Formats: sequence, structure tokens, C-alpha cells
Amino acid sequence: MSRLRPALLIAAKDLRVEMRTKDILPAVGLFALLVVTVASFAFPTSGPGREGVAAGMLWMAFLFAGLLGMGRSFALESEEACIAGLVASPAPSESIFIGKLLSNLVFTLAAEAAILPAFLVLLQLNPGPGLPLLLVTSVAGTFGIVVVGTLLSAMAVNTRTREAILPILAIPISVPALIASVQATQAALEGKDIAAAAPWLFLLVGYGAMFLLVALATFPYVLEE
Amino acid sequence: MTQQRVAAPPESPAAKRIPLWKILALPTVALMGVLVYAALALAPEDADQGPAQRIFYIHVPSAWIAFLAFAVVFVASVALLATGKRKWDDRAVASAEVGVVFTTVVMLTGPLWARPVWGVYWEWDPKLTAVFILWLIYMSYLALRSYVPDPSRRARFSAVLGIAGFLDVPIVYLAVRWWRGLHPEAVVLGKGGPQLPASMLQILLFGVFTFTLLYLVLFTLRLHVGRLRSAQEEVQA
Repeated sequence: MSRLRPALLIAAKDLRVEMRTKDILPAVGLFALLVVTVASFAFPTSGPGREGVAAGMLWMAFLFAGLLGMGRSFALESEEACIAGLVASPAPSESIFIGKLLSNLVFTLAAEAAILPAFLVLLQLNPGPGLPLLLVTSVAGTFGIVVVGTLLSAMAVNTRTREAILPILAIPISVPALIASVQATQAALEGKDIAAAAPWLFLLVGYGAMFLLVALATFPYVLEE
Repeated sequence: MTQQRVAAPPESPAAKRIPLWKILALPTVALMGVLVYAALALAPEDADQGPAQRIFYIHVPSAWIAFLAFAVVFVASVALLATGKRKWDDRAVASAEVGVVFTTVVMLTGPLWARPVWGVYWEWDPKLTAVFILWLIYMSYLALRSYVPDPSRRARFSAVLGIAGFLDVPIVYLAVRWWRGLHPEAVVLGKGGPQLPASMLQILLFGVFTFTLLYLVLFTLRLHVGRLRSAQEEVQA
């Protein structure tokens, strides 16, 4: 309990800050929409196999938007030395990580929830019976990307480039999660049910769990001054 | 070299040893020459693949060394976080740089072979993709290092990436294998014979041995450069 409570407090603080400043979500949602727009000019969006192209576009949008939001989230934390305050507080470093992870998850999932209906309408896709798989994949894939992104964004904001280096660090490591998410999303857009993409979901859960452990083990060293 | 310092600091016996790279450099260069000769002249010509197959004696040892180098980065990264000693960071970065060089060699020699044998320079096969992602991960590792000026923070940050990146590789491989496995229309890659003729195997093993020496030379030389660089940083500080 003593670890979860500070984590929830930190996440609640981030959400409260966002409610007041609206610094992250509008920009992230708009950015995701722009990625989908640019991609739909660049790739064929009709004809056979368009579900695969659409799945790739959707995850490009999710990934770039998520990275933008996570970079912003930690950049705000390091302005005014807020992160130093968190480190000095009695909250253990795992709680700081979980707190930032929760708020990043909420931001990224909220942006995705806004973009997903627009995406389906714009590309004239109807997942039908694939909807549960689409939602489960979005959550599981986002979890993996956000775990890795939260850990790496804490490092990125402490470099000379600030958060600009985050995509360079995060995208190569996110490759397995991206492959699995795109494959499962393609199955969902083709109207398949959850069982059809079980190996991909299994891989996403394994990826998320492993990097959660890695992040919890290494995060104290990232925060150290 | 004068030997007059009586109260030597504890590190000095090690410092006075002849460094490994000085001992191994010349023999390694000689063995590399022998390896090239063996690969080009002594090895039998592959019945299916022709002369292109000879690049295998450089390609496979390079891949082996790349994995060895990144495993060393992983171990050194764990040791750095556990002990906080700077020498582990020196070892990690030395091995990462050598590993990136060998991965680059793998990715240059692979397509040269693939073009005549498969007909294409590149195919998103699990091994190729995993090696490519591996290369990207360690390029980002080196990029991260160049953007963190503080040595202690640089050591910790790159150790975190050294651990996460290495653990990622098996999952990348698994993901790509499933991905291609679900698409049977993908090119079926010629695996070559499962058993290598003895004459080929001997040269391959000799290549792995020679490349291991080459790794040791480059790794210890890079450690030496790193020490000179930190000495310079200390003088400037």
C-alpha cells in the first residue's frame, strides 16, 4: 500500500496539471490525426490488403503521439526542478515510476480513444466482430510502448537534446511490440476475434511484463543525481 | 620509462603490464591474412552457391563477435549499476563500439552474398531483421552517450539502455519469426546443407578464433583510448 498510494498521488497530480494547462492532450491528439492524414495520402487506402496498411498507419500514429506525450510529460517534470522534489519526497522511486506510467497511460489511451473513431471513419473501416480484439490490442500494445517510453523519457529529458532523442531511443526497442500490435490490429480490422491473434497478444503481455520489471529495477539509477 | 617511484599507487603493477592489444595485434593481422587466403583459395567451392559462399567465412565470425560484444555490454551494464564503478562503463562502451562495427560488417557482407544467391540484397527474414534492429539499438546507445555530458549519469543511462536493448533482441527475433511464419508466401530462405563438410567447418572455426582475437585487440585498444580520454577529461576539469 505504501508504494501504490504515492504512485496514485503522482498520477493524480499529472492529470490535475493537465486539466489546468491542457499542455499535452490536445497537441498529442491533433498530432496523431495528422499522422493518419499524411499516411493516408502516402499509402493506398483501398483495395485488397488495405487492413494491413491501415493497421500500420494506426500504430505509427499511436507510437508518434505516445512518444510526443511522454516526452512532454517528463519535460514538464524537469522544468522548475519538479523531479528533484519528487526524488526528495518520501515516495520510493518505484512509486514515481508507476505514477508517471499511469499518467502516461491515461494520456496516451485518451488520445487513442479520440483518434480511433476518426481513423475508422476516414478509412471506411468496419471491424464489426473484430472490435474487442481491436480494443484489447490497443490497450496491450500501448502498455508495452508506454512502459518503455516512460523509462526512456526520464533519461531523454536529462540529455543535451532534451526529449528530442526519445524516438531514437524508444523506437528500436519498441519493434517487437509494434510488430505484434500491427499484426493483431490487422486481424481485428479483418473482423477476426481475439482467439485469432492470441499469440500476438501473448507476446504483447510478455513484452510489457518484462520491460515493467526492467524499468522497476533500473529506474532508481535513472533518477540518481 | 623510469622505475624510481617507490610508493607506487596500487594500480601501477597492472599499468606496467604490456597491454593485450600490443601482444595480440600483429599475430591477429597475420591470422586474418591466413583466413582470407583459406577462404578464397583453400575452401572448396560450394556446389550450389559458387564463389559467393566464400564470404561466409567473414560473415559468420563477424556475427558471432557482434553477439559476443553485445553480451559483454549487457554484463558490464549490470555490473556498472550493481557496483557503480566507472571501469564497467569503459568496458561497456568499448564493447558496444566494437559490436556496432562488426554488426555493420555483417550487414554489408550479408547482402553481397544474398544478391547472387537469393536474388535480392535484403529480405525481412528473422535473422536479418533481428541483426538490423540490434544495430539500430546500439547506434541509439552510442547516440545517447554523446548527448549526456556528465560521466556518472552517462554511465547509468547507457547501462539502462544496454540492459533493455539486449533483452529486447530475443523478443525481436520471436516477433519477426512469427510475423514471417504467418505469411507462407514469404521467400523460403535456402538454409544450405545442415551439415558442413569438414574442410569448410575447419576454416569457419579458424575464422571464429581469429575474429575472437580481433575482438580482444579492438576491445582492449578501445579501453586504452577510453582511459586516455578520461585522463584528458580529468586534466581539463
